[in-house]
Amino acid sequence: MVHVIRLLVLLIFAVLPLSGSDYLTVQLTQYMVYGIFAMSLSLLWGYAGILCFGHAIFFGIGAYVMALITKGMVPGFTGFLASTWIGLLLAVLSVACFAVILGYFLFYGRLSGPYLGIVTLAISVIAERVAVNWYYIGGFNGLTEVPALSFFGSEIREIHSLFYFILAVALGLYLFCDRLMRSPLGTTMAAIRDNEIRAEFFGYNSANYKIVIFCIGASVAALAGALFATVTEFVSPTLLGFGFSTEVLIWVALGGKEVLLASFLGAVVVRILEAFLSDILTYYWIMVLGLFFVVCVMFFPRGIFGSLLSERKQKTGRAL
Amino acid sequence: MDVSVQILNSLNYILVLILVAMGLAIIFGLMRVINMAHGEFFLLGAYTVVMTDQAGLGFWPGLVLAPMIVGLIGMAIEYICIRHLYQRFLDTILATWGLSIAIKQLIIILFGPAGLMIKPPLPQMVSFMGIEYPSYRLFIMAVALITIVLTFYVFLKTDFGLGARAVIDNRDMAAVLGINTRKMYRTTFTFGSALAGLAGAVMAPLMSCDPQMGLGFFIPAFLAILTGGTGALAGVLVGGGAVGGADSIISFIYSPVISQIVVFSMVIIVIRIRPQGLLGSRNRG
Repeated sequence: MVHVIRLLVLLIFAVLPLSGSDYLTVQLTQYMVYGIFAMSLSLLWGYAGILCFGHAIFFGIGAYVMALITKGMVPGFTGFLASTWIGLLLAVLSVACFAVILGYFLFYGRLSGPYLGIVTLAISVIAERVAVNWYYIGGFNGLTEVPALSFFGSEIREIHSLFYFILAVALGLYLFCDRLMRSPLGTTMAAIRDNEIRAEFFGYNSANYKIVIFCIGASVAALAGALFATVTEFVSPTLLGFGFSTEVLIWVALGGKEVLLASFLGAVVVRILEAFLSDILTYYWIMVLGLFFVVCVMFFPRGIFGSLLSERKQKTGRAL
Repeated sequence: MDVSVQILNSLNYILVLILVAMGLAIIFGLMRVINMAHGEFFLLGAYTVVMTDQAGLGFWPGLVLAPMIVGLIGMAIEYICIRHLYQRFLDTILATWGLSIAIKQLIIILFGPAGLMIKPPLPQMVSFMGIEYPSYRLFIMAVALITIVLTFYVFLKTDFGLGARAVIDNRDMAAVLGINTRKMYRTTFTFGSALAGLAGAVMAPLMSCDPQMGLGFFIPAFLAILTGGTGALAGVLVGGGAVGGADSIISFIYSPVISQIVVFSMVIIVIRIRPQGLLGSRNRG
């Protein structure tokens, strides 16, 4: 049943550009990048129990690194070193290193739950301020004219090929994350999420495992950020900041944090609704979204799509 | 600027920060709820003053009204929302965060996104010990100090405080001994909200009131609690002093951005070395 729904979702995404307008295709390409970003948060939050309130730091750093490298703004990086390949690679690697260092301090500091959330929130607020005040990387205005993705000498600029490229990347990352969570690592993560003390008594060093999953989640977010920079050809400090971190958290919570696909759909659906409703509701849209989020937390803790797509039965009384 | 003036300004910031952090710490200590909307309660306090100022009533009625209005809003939020989530620790953060988004947006709808200034209520300067200092800042310090001392008095010397500390220490045992924990939660949440409202109101004339100012106080207040530890109320004093002092001194010497980075790194190092905070002795979250 769940498999059928998954295939159906993929099919719908695959045919959407054929029937829809160009505008829809362009928008959906962007929303799918948001969807990848949402999946990376779901990996941390739903599967590993790491509530990251500042997840946009990783997305933003990935986007900035990609933009700086491919625009040739990093000294010494020219020619092949300023290509899409190196941009993607360095975006992911730099964020992975950053996540490991940060994770070392956070998880060996025994931070968990809300503490961790607010510390990451603080980092994201600071990162945004640094980006605004750093004029070399564009300051408040950000960087424009980021080159499009280019592999083996051909640029992916045409909207349909870009759409299918991003769809393929999203599918690949989905399969990767899904497989990862079925691996022994995923099982251990679930054990740590459900009862950290018990997992430690079984001999698992929970801090190390958390650092690993934190690093993976951050890297996927960085990849999403790097793709975002090329798709929109634009990066700005808001990509690092508090507001965007909030948005992704809402998408994942509304979609369903415990299921990757549900988080992905949460991001895409909320963005589509936003495109339609923010015209009608204007300023009230954010307020409505915030209140809807509260209602969802109170009454549908598993998200809108989460229950539909979950393979597991509703658990009773999860440990805090 | 004179160094002694700067020290007084730091003290001023520290005291207000402690006021905000104390509300947060009391709510967390008693209810195990991290109130993400605390910054927005601060905001509501500040905008209450803006509202009375715009209505031509001036600052002083706003100062009196702010803690009452924000306290009532806090009580309503506790009754409508948080009460249902006591068993789900993490969800309370998400719910209060959703509320904070909604409240902030409501302020933007009502007052617009731009910063608003209000008329300074005590414009004259006071001179003592050879320096000139705004009398309003002295007034803030007095208000904050009195409120802090009163809060400590309530928690350490009254029957209510005894019950509250019993709940902080062992919630189930306190309930078994006949303390009405539900009622205590409501009182605490109302009181904590009122503290944030008061802090917002007294700070309103000093800064331009914009919808983002709540976050600017929530994050340092939270870092102060992390630094000081959550077990004892005194931890808030130490944490608030350390974070607020370092923040205002470094931003005076260098710039606010550098001070944020330095203070934050300091906090991370402190919790890496002493995860329970400087004064804390109990397990966290």
